[in-house]
Amino acid sequence: MIILKHFKVDDVSYVSHKDILRVLQRGLKRANVDVKYSQGYVPHMLTYTTTPVPLGVQSVAEYFAVECNGVDKDEMLVRYNASMPTGMRAVASFYRDKNPNLAAIVTASDYEAVCAKVLPKEIESIAECQSYIISTSKKGEVVQKDVAPLIYGLRVENNKLFMRLASGNANLRADSVVNHLNEKFGIDIKINDICRKAQLVGEKGNFIDVEELLK
Amino acid sequence: MWDKLKDILLQVQKPARYVGGEYNLPDMDKPCKERVLLCFSDKYEVGMSNIGTRILYHMLNDMQDIVCERCYAPDLDMAQLLRKNALPLFSIETKRDAKSFDLIGFSVQFELQFTNIVYMLDLMGIPYYASERGDEYPPIVAGGPCVVNPMPFAPFFDAVLIGEGEKNLKELTLLHIECKERGLSKQEFLLRASKLDGVYVPSLNNPTKRAVVKDLDSAYYPTKILVPNCDIVHDRSSIELFRGCANGCRFCQAGFYYRPIRERSVDTLVRQACELMDSTGYDELGLLSLSTSDYSGLKELVDRIKVEADKRKIKVALPSLRLDSFEAEIYEEIQGASLTFAPEAGTQRLRDVINKNINEENILSSLTAAMKYGVKNVKLYFIMGLPTETQEDLQGIVDIVHLIKSLHAQYGTSKLLNITVSTSIFIPKPLTPFQWERQISMQEMLDKQAFMREKLRLKNVKYSWHGAESSIIEAVLARGDKSLAKTIVKAYELGCVFDSWSENFDYGKWLDAFELSGVDYQKFLDGFDEDEELPWDIIDNGVTKTYLLKERHKAYEGKCTPNCLKKCNGCGANRLERCRI
Repeated sequence: MIILKHFKVDDVSYVSHKDILRVLQRGLKRANVDVKYSQGYVPHMLTYTTTPVPLGVQSVAEYFAVECNGVDKDEMLVRYNASMPTGMRAVASFYRDKNPNLAAIVTASDYEAVCAKVLPKEIESIAECQSYIISTSKKGEVVQKDVAPLIYGLRVENNKLFMRLASGNANLRADSVVNHLNEKFGIDIKINDICRKAQLVGEKGNFIDVEELLK
Repeated sequence: MWDKLKDILLQVQKPARYVGGEYNLPDMDKPCKERVLLCFSDKYEVGMSNIGTRILYHMLNDMQDIVCERCYAPDLDMAQLLRKNALPLFSIETKRDAKSFDLIGFSVQFELQFTNIVYMLDLMGIPYYASERGDEYPPIVAGGPCVVNPMPFAPFFDAVLIGEGEKNLKELTLLHIECKERGLSKQEFLLRASKLDGVYVPSLNNPTKRAVVKDLDSAYYPTKILVPNCDIVHDRSSIELFRGCANGCRFCQAGFYYRPIRERSVDTLVRQACELMDSTGYDELGLLSLSTSDYSGLKELVDRIKVEADKRKIKVALPSLRLDSFEAEIYEEIQGASLTFAPEAGTQRLRDVINKNINEENILSSLTAAMKYGVKNVKLYFIMGLPTETQEDLQGIVDIVHLIKSLHAQYGTSKLLNITVSTSIFIPKPLTPFQWERQISMQEMLDKQAFMREKLRLKNVKYSWHGAESSIIEAVLARGDKSLAKTIVKAYELGCVFDSWSENFDYGKWLDAFELSGVDYQKFLDGFDEDEELPWDIIDNGVTKTYLLKERHKAYEGKCTPNCLKKCNGCGANRLERCRI
């Protein structure tokens, strides 16, 4: 199995996850990669991704695993980059005998958000709260959610906000957090100016970057 | 512009429609003398499925000194936000203001998209009528199948390109570059443009002969096409087998408009198919034409393409199979468990009137073969309201359904058979032998549909029909003259947009628009006299009026005209270019 770490930036950040899956699979066809298919009634390509970023959020740390024959990880990187739309470029590739099931083991993501203006330092204190309720959207409905256990860190440097948020099975959407901060602090961080920088495994205080894990 | 759009994009449905970034995007940064904006008057997912605009887009981008970008009609949510934020309609590729382009082209595919032209011009901040636009605005031209009768929308355009864009759009763009370099005014450019083949300039009202590509085999066809990032209507790559149609069905505008018939060679098509399969990654390849089974090398083509497609795990789709040339062998290989037939009329008498050259025997043998191959779904298409139609002809449709059911009971190898019957309303379109006919009234349409609904209330039979109100408006817009331009504007001002989407169509508003613009629309629904001048007579589309009239008379005598593959019937399209079958 080959795992690619790739970007999802610029125009394609506005493409939904469902559509991205099709873009990835078409890319593999163009790349002439011999992908393995499921054995079911309607065979489908054996490809795997991690929890997607919300629509509009950019990422330089997406992971895409594919079961395939006849191509090594370095060749795969080259072919992938020649076959994807601009905005989706692979930066590293890894080989594993078995599926590492990244979707199940990723527990957090690091995000960086850029604002046109300097951001207030008070934002950082939210990460220290025992309980912190924000409004989030769930299946089109606004719900109140205690996000304190899902925020692992918030740091402000001038006009940049760094967030470490729960990802995977227990997930906190970066856009929900930013929308809340925009409203509470009267700031204007655009959703498209948020970028996922890394995906992590482990637990609070002991996180490891997925890329390190795969190396 | 991009910064402002960032805010908007996450407030609209399917933002991927507006951002571009597709695979195979041409170089937008190359040095150029001319930036062309190609507009499609419907949503992205419809426009991106259109093969004609795809050809022209890539053709212009493959030319030296020209960059071509796209613009589709934004959905209503996007339009509202553009207005709220005082943003103009923009190009997808570089998010440029539409007004800043050197040349703007609209593809007009369907009569019920006419209000969308005004909608898009409004969002661009461009006056609707060409007469109200000075040199500060780029020339705006139209093309596409609706130019058979461009009169209703002609006042919106500086020029209308009649015929095939590979020829006239290319020549027009080059001429515009030349005129710009020489510092000529828009009026001087249009005067020169009117001398080109297939360029109608409404302000000059110049008689225009349709432009056609002489040799289709060597004509431009893109094999590195845009692959959209989101779902579109026809999401596959396609090769175009031939242009034109040999059948001469008397109701069919496309069948006459796209003449003369010109084929591509099997070698060219196989090469194009392979290049497309490799450059797109699509799962499906379509073989396109008006009547695929009439392609002279179909068997060889399908055999050769199947080998290449199987290697790549790609499915080959064959639309437009005629009932009479249905080949069980091809069906078995390609079609799977669903079959689509278009007998168009319920009785042999009426099929002869419309020159649908199939008979009961063809239908019977084809369907029997299909049943034996285990077909599970049969889709049937019919037209109601055809000239000379009687109740007996409608009953004939019901009889065909019963026949299929009994064939399934007798020969069927599938457990269940689902039959879907769809009827559309006949509209006497320009450039057909029926162009002089009247459009049946709303009440007649409703009565016919009620009859079919009642009779087709059968187990495993589904009946769907086309809206009567929209058929009336489509007929008026297809057959009308320049007076309709102000009705189209009025309809838009009353809120008519995306009329081709049934959920948006509002018949009441159209009736108000006719009244407010002072247009008596009934005159376009009544039949025309044979010696009367028709609104579209100034356009020479190839097939002569004399031939159409002769065909009309033969229709009333119930006489068929043979397929052009059997013998040349002298339709006149040969004057534009020799048929190459």
